[in-house]
Amino acid sequence: MIAYSTRRFTFAAGHRYTVDAWPAEKNERVFGRLAVPHGHNYTLDVTVRGPIDAETGMVIDLSEVKAVVSETVVERFDHADLNADPAFRGRVPTTENIAVVVWELLAPKLGGERLWQVRVWEDPTLFVDYRGPGR
Amino acid sequence: MIELTRVYHFSAAHRLESPMLSAEENARRYGPCFRPHGHNYYLEVTMRGEPDPVTGMVIDIGRVDDVVSATVLDHVDHRTLEEVPRLGGVITTGESLARAFWDLLAPALRPGTLARVAVVETAKNRFEYAGEDR
Repeated sequence: MIAYSTRRFTFAAGHRYTVDAWPAEKNERVFGRLAVPHGHNYTLDVTVRGPIDAETGMVIDLSEVKAVVSETVVERFDHADLNADPAFRGRVPTTENIAVVVWELLAPKLGGERLWQVRVWEDPTLFVDYRGPGR
Repeated sequence: MIELTRVYHFSAAHRLESPMLSAEENARRYGPCFRPHGHNYYLEVTMRGEPDPVTGMVIDIGRVDDVVSATVLDHVDHRTLEEVPRLGGVITTGESLARAFWDLLAPALRPGTLARVAVVETAKNRFEYAGEDR
């Protein structure tokens, strides 16, 4: 019996959309207002998947998820400039790429099999889901 | 594969009535929904694809906004859904609206990029449609 457990996190971060190889005019033309430094209150939903343990009744101890995500993602990105983070070197910090980066940071710690989905909300009107390479 | 979801809002009036049922049967089948009323709807449009390696974007969200506005929102916001020409013949249940919006949006977006349409009628009722074969 497979179940899915989701824990929600929040972090506030700054970013701007810019491709280093492009001149400023092209960045402004392609990305518009997004080329200017700004920020968001991000919400992150981390979903783990697995059988329900017969003894504990849990898919995973959500306090373990809380500790791993807080240490690995929230402490790193909260009140940070995403463009300055090495994870976004050569990668524009779009919501899509934030979801991919969060997945890449969490998968080794939670296990790619247990980690089912990363959902990143940029604001209440926009979210991105990523379930790992090939899924 | 990335899925990107944009949440839109519109307010509209509607009532549920099947042309295949008598007035009494409609009133019995649909209950309070047979009477003219309205909702604050949310429309969730999910796009799918791989992020462009240069821009990091799956899709130009501004363009999706334009398509959803021109194709759906401008026609249904602050309207009576039964009077919307492009919804002709649709019994305006959440599930039928989800399918109707999919049928309007899919041809207006790049082929293969629309993953799912969700209509949230109230905080309790949510309807999803992902195309005929899904």
